[in-house]
Amino acid sequence: MTASLKSAKFSSRYKLPALGTLIFIGFIGILLTLAVYPLAEWQTISPDRFAGISLEHPLGTNALGQDIASRAEKASWHSLRIGFLVALCAGLLGVSLGLLSGWYAGRWPDTVILWLTGVMEAIPFYLFVAALAYALRQFNWSMELAMVITFWTTMARLIRAEVIRLKQRDFILSARAIGLSPGRTLTAHILPNTLPVLLVQLSMIFIAAIKAEVILSFLGLGNNSNISWGQMISESTHEVISGHYMNFVSASILLFMLIYSISLITDSLQTRSDPRQGIA
Amino acid sequence: MLPRTLCLIVLGTSLLWGCDKNADSEATTEVVFRHALEDSPISLDPAHAATVSAKFLAVNLYDTLYRYKYLARPYELVPNLATSLPQISTDGLEYTIQIQAGTYFQDDPVFINGSGREVTAADFIYSIKRQLDPQTRAQGAWLWVDNIAGLKAWSEAGADYRLPVSGLQAPSRYAIKITLNHANPYFTHSLAQGFAAIVPVEAISKWGREFSSRPVGSGPFQLASFNTSQAVLVRNKNYREDFFSLESEGGIQENHPRLASNNGQKLPLSDRIELLFIKDDVARWNALESDAVDSILAPATLLTQILTTDSEANTRFKLKPALTEKYELLAAREAGFVRINFNMDDANIGYSTDPERNQANLALRCAIRKSYNWKARNQIFSQGSGQVFAGIIPPIVYEFDPEFSPESIRHDPSGARELLRQHGWNADNLPMLTYGYSVSVTQNQMFEQFRGFLIEIGYPAEKIQARKFANFGDFLRALHENNLNTIPSGWEMDYPDASDTLQLYYGPNRTPGSNNANFNNPEYDRLFRKARYMPQSPERTTTLAQLNQIVTDACVTISGLARTRIFIWNKRANVIPDRAFTGGYFLRFATLNTAGNKPESP
Repeated sequence: MTASLKSAKFSSRYKLPALGTLIFIGFIGILLTLAVYPLAEWQTISPDRFAGISLEHPLGTNALGQDIASRAEKASWHSLRIGFLVALCAGLLGVSLGLLSGWYAGRWPDTVILWLTGVMEAIPFYLFVAALAYALRQFNWSMELAMVITFWTTMARLIRAEVIRLKQRDFILSARAIGLSPGRTLTAHILPNTLPVLLVQLSMIFIAAIKAEVILSFLGLGNNSNISWGQMISESTHEVISGHYMNFVSASILLFMLIYSISLITDSLQTRSDPRQGIA
Repeated sequence: MLPRTLCLIVLGTSLLWGCDKNADSEATTEVVFRHALEDSPISLDPAHAATVSAKFLAVNLYDTLYRYKYLARPYELVPNLATSLPQISTDGLEYTIQIQAGTYFQDDPVFINGSGREVTAADFIYSIKRQLDPQTRAQGAWLWVDNIAGLKAWSEAGADYRLPVSGLQAPSRYAIKITLNHANPYFTHSLAQGFAAIVPVEAISKWGREFSSRPVGSGPFQLASFNTSQAVLVRNKNYREDFFSLESEGGIQENHPRLASNNGQKLPLSDRIELLFIKDDVARWNALESDAVDSILAPATLLTQILTTDSEANTRFKLKPALTEKYELLAAREAGFVRINFNMDDANIGYSTDPERNQANLALRCAIRKSYNWKARNQIFSQGSGQVFAGIIPPIVYEFDPEFSPESIRHDPSGARELLRQHGWNADNLPMLTYGYSVSVTQNQMFEQFRGFLIEIGYPAEKIQARKFANFGDFLRALHENNLNTIPSGWEMDYPDASDTLQLYYGPNRTPGSNNANFNNPEYDRLFRKARYMPQSPERTTTLAQLNQIVTDACVTISGLARTRIFIWNKRANVIPDRAFTGGYFLRFATLNTAGNKPESP
């Protein structure tokens, strides 16, 4: 491998996550600053409609005189909460079913789980999330639940493949030979070895959950009592035409910062966990 | 070989060119008018023509006995399928109506040989009976149930179509005789509603519930296709000989030179109507700008971008200079109003068996009403173009009282807080409010504004919940199931009389009827029954004012705002797309300007 190629690989391996981390820290920094800044409550309306940028309203106000900075901050925490919650729950579900399926590969638990995975994946993704979120709309966590139900499948497939690969390895065969229970073998020996795949997939679920939430909220199917970037962007469709951009700009920039930073970090994790991408 | 191949190529090209030319020629001769509606109908069955879009389609696919004149203002009834206005007996109880012979339903497989049969008086009688048949679950029964003699009893006896209704008779094939329980000077208006559209029994027998999407009528158009995004109507070739006359429609040559050019032409004037259902304001405006539609109801949220700001105190509306080249505008005060009702069936906010709680709930409703800032609502969502008024009798009707106490529309947050305190309401014991709407950016913002007003008086934000519905039909279903306690409502009047809005709080009209507040006040009901059939008189005006006061005192609604509807159309279209009262009747008169679609100078 030439020196320049090595240098490029080194660069992509270390610079991208650094940039991603930097943007993510910047994103959190903005949120923390807004959290301590004395802003009006995000629901509060005022006669001060479409106010420009000022100390009182750092990002101006919208058509109802609501503080855009306050709404953007609240929407950001809301997105982070959804991202983490869905990643955690869908991850747990996917890992559990993946471990079970991989361990019992070829037997009935595996058949059932694979069938379920196939069924879930056959349904158009956003349509299914939207339909579920709408059907369960009276339930405050409907959107999160809909995402968890749909997002676990890829994780389960990947973990299943890892388990099938790992369970033929000598250290697993040895563990089984000394009489370790399947549960102990899976959690103590197999699960830690799936960590690279798991981390990458978790961050991808995190991104997918945030994007899905923004799309659903944009379509008006979001949570009833929270503000979201999607809702801000949908409001801005009426405002941009009359030259009021702050709702759109603030929601879009924050959305971009979060998604782009996590994507960069995910890419890097993927590269590091792939042995074929190693530096020669 | 080469010459032969060349010949084939030339021949083939010529044939293709020929086909293309024919297609072009057909495309240019077919007049296609495109209009955007703000919502899609959930049913095309006239029995369910309760929404603007459903009524819009019903009156174009079906015939009604009467309709409103296209251009006459104030609105005037004119015979449609009837040959003349009804002959009314001196006691006002008997109506005799002749219908036009030689009117046929559209061709459809439900008829023998697929040929539309003639419309007769019996079809009208069947159509009205159907409204009272519990199996139809119709929404227009309230128009006739107390009016037509014997109809209620017929319905209650099991709605057997073989049995006659004493007040509905057909003395001959083309004559209808209606007997009323009491004289009603507004009765003829009910025969111009979408609910009164005439349907053939064969279609209902064959299609059953599917009839809601397979209309078979005798109107000027028939349905070519229908889905949630658009309906395409084509000329009903069986439509009777009906010709446009500007004068008969209440128009004046000098005011409507372009419409006058259609004088003497057979109706409908367009061959094909494309109705696009576009809910989003910006998308609707974009559809007009990109020539995807010819006319729209201008989105209220975009009025500042569309209208000049130098309109004199918002009483005259003008398009911005950049738009005047291409578009025309008509501003008309809404025939109806918007308000927010409280569901009186909900014991948390409405009627309670505990008298003390009843009083507390009354104070709560009044406090919420005091918190509401109509001026801000009008400014933000109608750019100040609407008219805020107190009570439930809107400015468009004769009985509107501009002197009615404005107390109920006064924004008074401190008074609201004091009222809550006096009746022991605090952040802990205030009930959960469920505010429902069909989802859109504007509706969402209206909810946020409502919540904002309540936060101002100390109502906890988490106790004001939005219930969003994917479409208006789902919202209506939730209303019918009594799942909401705070109900933003709009009412497009069916006929130009105050009784049409006062019936919105008449006890027997409770959900699933038009009284979605489920207001139930015996004194109100008694006065309403007394006043609704009285001719216009000082006594009637006094009674209507009493009714207005009862609803206002009960704080059953936060009312109201009569918006100004701005209709905008491309100058290539030759139409006045006003739909107040007239519903969608204007479609039969809509066409495009001739001479290469170039508009005449106004």
